[in-house]
Amino acid sequence: MIEDELFFAWLDGELDEVAAGQVAAAVAASPELTARAEQHKRLAAGLKGAFDPVANGSCAAPRFEPTEVIDFGARAAERDRRRSWLAAPQWAAMAASLAIGLLIGTQFMGRAVSPVAVEGGHLVAAGSLNEALDTRLASAPVDDGTRVGLTFREPSGRICRSFSDASASGLACREGNGWRVTGLFPAAEGQRGDYRMAAGEDPRLAALIDQTISGDPLDAAQEKAARDGGWR
Amino acid sequence: MPSTPTFDSELAAVWPRLRRFAHALARNPADADDLAQMAAEKAFKSFSQFQPGTRFDSWLFRICRTSWIDTVRSRSRRAAHEAPADLAETLGYDPIPATEAAIDLARAQAAMQRLPEEQREVVALILIEGFGYREAAEILGQPIGTVSSRLARGRQALLTMLGEGQ
Repeated sequence: MIEDELFFAWLDGELDEVAAGQVAAAVAASPELTARAEQHKRLAAGLKGAFDPVANGSCAAPRFEPTEVIDFGARAAERDRRRSWLAAPQWAAMAASLAIGLLIGTQFMGRAVSPVAVEGGHLVAAGSLNEALDTRLASAPVDDGTRVGLTFREPSGRICRSFSDASASGLACREGNGWRVTGLFPAAEGQRGDYRMAAGEDPRLAALIDQTISGDPLDAAQEKAARDGGWR
Repeated sequence: MPSTPTFDSELAAVWPRLRRFAHALARNPADADDLAQMAAEKAFKSFSQFQPGTRFDSWLFRICRTSWIDTVRSRSRRAAHEAPADLAETLGYDPIPATEAAIDLARAQAAMQRLPEEQREVVALILIEGFGYREAAEILGQPIGTVSSRLARGRQALLTMLGEGQ
């Protein structure tokens, strides 16, 4: 009889040649052990096969280093030439959004306290924007200008919500207990002031949503359930 | 551009596997993605402590495992009493024949969730991520004998849950 640990170490190719030869001989001589070896090989393959799609999916790694941020000028210039917003990889949009966030900072949404902040190199919702994303349903009447548009899930399952007010629109995705702002687009000059843009109306935001969304947006009942579940 | 590998490029290479590892540890895909993200952030913050020439993936997996223990596990504990019924239902009424080789992700994740944490992490590292016993022992900071006995118990329990009617 072979001990479990020795048997599995053999199965996993962990034994040296001599020990492996001994176990292999014992297994070959025992129909019971041979069947068990096959069972466990299938189990290991099945288990790995079940998790492999996670690694084969196209979920981009987060970026942390500031090289893209330093590249802002060039990216912004490209944008101004109206060339590459829709074609730009998502990180470029994020990086440029961060630049905009830093620039408009305290003026954004006409409040003294900025509705965006930078944490760990990422733009996150703060103040009134954070509160609106946490609590406000798309159907809720808007009394202070921040409107939530679409709520949907990314392929990874993470919830994202689009938002807008008179001066800007954007997209934020749930991260921990907060919201990472993955896109932020100032309204065109002529559209500021009293005009309130509907979320999703800005073509840059629409393009970002298209890149991010998996399936259909949440309906009103799903949105409420997601809120009650802490946006998980 | 000549360069030593940057954190982002190292991370990008390991990221798919880090997510897979997180899915094997965490109770659902949303928690798994939070975990992978958190591990990546912690690793970035302590990248200066990474020893060049050693394995970046092992280092990152160690951080991921520590993050999981620190946070996700305590959260699972709080919700633990509602979990067994759900999982038992999923597993008990699974229509997939016992001889079916393919295991879907939800079923595999539910089965992993039923393993004690110390078996789950060993199974995740060795059977799913393909680390050797010694590498897994180093990531977990445990003797190789402990890793090997937990692995034996974990895969025996998984066989009972997932397949091949006894």
